[in-house]
Amino acid sequence: MAVDQEYFDKLAQTVIDGDDEECVRLIKVGLDKDMDPVKAIEKGLGKGIIKVGDDFGEGVVFLPELIMAADVMKQGTAILDEKIKAQGLNRKSLGKIVIGTVKGDIHDIGKSVVASVLQVNGYDVVDIGIDVEIETFIEAVKENKADCLGMSTLLTLPLQVMGQVIDKLKEEGMRDNLKVIVGGCPVTQEFADEIGADAVGFDAADAVKKVGALLGTKQVLLKEPWQISTREDNV
Amino acid sequence: MKGFTGKLVGSLYPITDAECKKIHKSAIRVLEEGGMRCDDPRAAKMFEKAGCKLENDGKLVKIPEKVVMKAFETCPDKITIYGHDSKGKNDIVLGNDEVHFATVTGRYLRDIRTGERRQAKRADAVDGALMADALENVHGLYKSVMWLYDEPKICNSQMLVGEMMKNSDKSSTWVYNTGAEHEIPDLIKLWQIAAGGEGALRKKPHVLGHVIANPPRVIDVNYTSWIIGFCDAGLPVTAYSALMGGATGPATLAGMLVQAIAETLALVVQVQSYKPGHPTCFCSFSPAMDMRTGLWQFGNPEYGTVGGGIAAMAKHYGVPCVGFAINDACDTDEQAAYESALKDYNYALNGISLIWDIGGMAGFNYVDWSHMCIDNEVASFIGHYLKGIQVNEERMAVDEILKVGPLPGSYLKEKHTRKWYREEFLIPELSNRDFFESWERGHTELLEKGKQKALKILDTHQSPVSPEIRKEIDDYLNFVKKRDVEEPDKPPVR
Repeated sequence: MAVDQEYFDKLAQTVIDGDDEECVRLIKVGLDKDMDPVKAIEKGLGKGIIKVGDDFGEGVVFLPELIMAADVMKQGTAILDEKIKAQGLNRKSLGKIVIGTVKGDIHDIGKSVVASVLQVNGYDVVDIGIDVEIETFIEAVKENKADCLGMSTLLTLPLQVMGQVIDKLKEEGMRDNLKVIVGGCPVTQEFADEIGADAVGFDAADAVKKVGALLGTKQVLLKEPWQISTREDNV
Repeated sequence: MKGFTGKLVGSLYPITDAECKKIHKSAIRVLEEGGMRCDDPRAAKMFEKAGCKLENDGKLVKIPEKVVMKAFETCPDKITIYGHDSKGKNDIVLGNDEVHFATVTGRYLRDIRTGERRQAKRADAVDGALMADALENVHGLYKSVMWLYDEPKICNSQMLVGEMMKNSDKSSTWVYNTGAEHEIPDLIKLWQIAAGGEGALRKKPHVLGHVIANPPRVIDVNYTSWIIGFCDAGLPVTAYSALMGGATGPATLAGMLVQAIAETLALVVQVQSYKPGHPTCFCSFSPAMDMRTGLWQFGNPEYGTVGGGIAAMAKHYGVPCVGFAINDACDTDEQAAYESALKDYNYALNGISLIWDIGGMAGFNYVDWSHMCIDNEVASFIGHYLKGIQVNEERMAVDEILKVGPLPGSYLKEKHTRKWYREEFLIPELSNRDFFESWERGHTELLEKGKQKALKILDTHQSPVSPEIRKEIDDYLNFVKKRDVEEPDKPPVR
């Protein structure tokens, strides 16, 4: 199989189909033929994820497709990123975001949806999971040189952990170069202001808009999900 | 169009099998002892031919049980109403354990752009047909509107039917509303043009005709003409009583049911006598009277319950049942929502094959295209309820449950989820599923969403009917208008 437009289209299709096995297989085939890994992301995986994002915005596909696409994208990108690193190359990204559900809460879905939607919109997202310790957030931000940190909880008690993470960031001198967005059912604008977060994402689409505003990344790729809305956001 | 199916279709009736037999015996007693007044000698002849006794100079017909049962021997248990497209995609089968939804009519129309309730015009008949044609859960058309106030009365039905035939190829239904018999050959001609000729209409009838008894216990003159017209053209009929409990029927549900069935049985005998084997089904259209105003009421439980009884009796006799399920609300409000949803669901559980409800308001007083889109959504909800829970190995998902759990596993990324969720879950188009805070910050009201959907349909949906057939219909409508209005001295046979 030649690494041509047809190959990239097939690679994009694995993301659309949520087919991780085929994605990994195709990438290995491509790399064996000295494929440019940056092109594989831009012309293959990226195209696929944009299509899924658009379809999600149009209400043609829904969360399972979105999450699966993001997962395939993540697996494919991990292999390609190693190659990019090894070749001393760079690839464009709208920004790097570390995201997790705070200590004391094991709710995964909302955070994963936000992570996927951000990823679909062109951000590099490092999802560090659930029940995340304060220290783990700090380390992940450092290690990944993150531009933005996202924290989530569905419960009220773990809310205080969000404030503690921000305090720790300040202590470590990391807060000034980092944007912090918080979200989850009990999180209000007042609470976000109180703990010194930069923004609150009220839903996945809102999170994308707010992150875009915080990082100055205007080129939001995803169309507005849940499109029938006259909502005026205060971004 | 395939209707909604599932294990809950026809799973609930308001009377038992034993009670069906009691209702039958009682209805037979009404027909044998009291009989039906029969003002039309043509009808009397049909009953006489079937073996009924005529009394009072042929103006009273008494119908024995054996004649009724013989009539059912020739009634088919399923009826196909065809779309007049050639591909069969709009065909619907009544009595096939499928539930179909169709539009319904109104005296007025709420203008989708101005919100004003006004008299309907011919252009509105076009819009109504296009809406019905486009909506995914609408399986057939009733009249787009009741009357066209910008067309002459003499040829009003012709213009209305012509526009319906020109702008949708879904099947339709017809109940006369002018009292004029002269329109029968004209409408049949229009239906024949839409079908592609007289033989084509006979082979694939795309109209279900209505024949109604005048309660209490009268065989109507006009409907005898329609029976002849529908039967001669090969159009299946639905036969029913239009009684109103407490006024033209008894004030008990069982009594309403006995009289409605007796009158329906008389019509079945009449139709089968005129044309044995002609497809004939029952219909629910027996409301109770509102005891404060004297108006009929379709939103009350007894209307749906008696309708369920009629459906149970149709099943007892082995014929399909259809029904009207309109609400009484004078605005698209909470009352419209609960009346429509409860009655439609009740009807569907009663196995009523074709439900006329979509877009109708205030007991046939007006139609509203925005509301039509909301009713279209209600139909999708009912379709999902009717499925019940389908239990099989793959759906029970034991392998998935063992694979994913315990936490932090999630089913969201599973191929099983992706394979099944669209079939098993309803993803509503208009109903609010926003995050509460997002909704509070700003949202579009449901009726406005319905309006946006309707406007999009009206702006973009094209008639699927071929230009040749549209032209032929137009030519015929011009001929009718010239004949009836411009040259009234030379009227057709009336």
